Amino acid sequence: MKNNKLYITAAFFSLVSNMALSQTVNWGGLTDKERHILNVNVGAEYGAIVGLGYGYKFNSKLFPTIVNIEASVPMGERLFDDFKTKAGANVRWLKLNNLQFSAKAQGIFRKYENENVQLMNFGLDMSGTIGYYRPKWFAALEIGFDKAIVTHFKHTDHYKEDYPDVKDGWYEPATGGNFYGAVQGGYSFSNQEVYLKVGAIVSQDLKTKPQLPYLLQVGYNYKLPF
Amino acid sequence: MTTLRKKNALVASFTIFTLLFSCTEGRTIDEPGNLVPKTVDQDSSLPAISVNGALLHSEAFGPENGTLIIALHGGPGGDYRYLLNCKDLAAQGYRVVFYDQRGSGLSQRFSKNSYTSQGAGATNIMFEELKSVIAHYKKTPNQKVVLLGHSWGAMLASGYAGKYPEAVQGLIVCEPGGLKWDDVEDYVKESRSFKLWGEILNDATYLDQFISGKEDQHEILDYKMSMLSSKNDITGEGDFDSSAGWRDGAVIMDALFEVGDKYKSDFSAGLQNYNAPVLFFYSERNKAYPDSWAQKITSSYKHVESVKVSNVGHDGIVTNKDAWNSQTKPKIINFINSL
Repeated sequence: MKNNKLYITAAFFSLVSNMALSQTVNWGGLTDKERHILNVNVGAEYGAIVGLGYGYKFNSKLFPTIVNIEASVPMGERLFDDFKTKAGANVRWLKLNNLQFSAKAQGIFRKYENENVQLMNFGLDMSGTIGYYRPKWFAALEIGFDKAIVTHFKHTDHYKEDYPDVKDGWYEPATGGNFYGAVQGGYSFSNQEVYLKVGAIVSQDLKTKPQLPYLLQVGYNYKLPF
Repeated sequence: MTTLRKKNALVASFTIFTLLFSCTEGRTIDEPGNLVPKTVDQDSSLPAISVNGALLHSEAFGPENGTLIIALHGGPGGDYRYLLNCKDLAAQGYRVVFYDQRGSGLSQRFSKNSYTSQGAGATNIMFEELKSVIAHYKKTPNQKVVLLGHSWGAMLASGYAGKYPEAVQGLIVCEPGGLKWDDVEDYVKESRSFKLWGEILNDATYLDQFISGKEDQHEILDYKMSMLSSKNDITGEGDFDSSAGWRDGAVIMDALFEVGDKYKSDFSAGLQNYNAPVLFFYSERNKAYPDSWAQKITSSYKHVESVKVSNVGHDGIVTNKDAWNSQTKPKIINFINSL
């Protein structure tokens, strides 16, 4: 009963967002017994990134769902001044033999800090993934949109020396948004998985590119069978 | 009991959410004055001149008929605030002129296309603007004109002297990255070769998920540019020198680099016809500007005196008060007095 409630909540969240997302997993390699998915990853996404994730899978014949939380930090001398956390759900909506379509939606809280400003942002990351999933391997294409919905700006004395009249506080509507697309593939063995994701990022005007317009992730999933 | 708990949780969530978003006034990032200062066309209280269809942030110090020293800031897309130590030269009887180049600092903004549509001629817009600024401040035909350029400003000054060799009686240049575009590219590559895992590089790239700006959204793009660290361990910028600025000009920087890359802009063109003396400064702490690079760049000038400023980096030649007072300024005064 409790699980059903969670499932409904997760599915509703996905529905209202029109899309759903998830950790990168091999839908074809998940058994019913494997409910907990631990993830570590490294790569490039707006910087050189390392990340951790945890997903819990709800079994359903029609719409299997993984709710998950993730955290990542970019490299640098000050390791935790910038970070990103995500929480959401990934729903497998369609399965035609080995062809499967899933969608994910994740709420985001992220922080950025440098000598000029501290930014805190609430956002939403939505994507859809279509791919060919076999028990031992998979290949898929993911298209998504990452929206920075509302951001709090707090400037440092250093920036205020340059511009004392700067206005701190909450900025809305959305301060940013980027589309991304990536191909992903992976190999599953026993209760483990390695995957690679390679893609590109473009701003919401589909013309401007971020300074690091590429996306790269090498990940490892460990699935706990209980 | 469970219902009560749920109700309390709901009320608490609603309260937190309401407090979070309604206690402060929501602001938009592209509204003038919120995150970056207003420009002269948005704030009439700022000192400005109108030349070539652009309103430029500009001011001048010293006697109107003194030798005209035009200070040219770096970038492209910087502003003259960090050059203000040069105001000291007004006390020597010189007329010191500062202006933010179009699309830069507090001067009026223009679309990226207004530059790139000119093709290779985009740099001519900057030369013609400088010509008009000189004309605006020059009071007598015999008034001497000296260009004092730093970094990109030194490239611009050199290009102008090559284009109008008779119009400039003295050239003072501080660390132009390069004069031929291939050299500029090499210098930029060398001076910006940050570590992949370094804080500076990640600070620059991580921001893009928080703020994104469309082409010609000047407020947003200028703000993002200002967020990039002013500290550069390679060139020595931001080490101990204050290099304050008013506002960056992201669009013109992007446009002029795009034009330079495409048409290989050459700021050394015509310098073989420039016979007036050149005072060339470079800095001890800029690792991307060793003696060999200074020699390579100075080879484009016919009559050049080269000065290495000790204990400072790229900006410190002008911004570091000690270096300015003890090294840069005395050399400049001697140079101008000898013209």
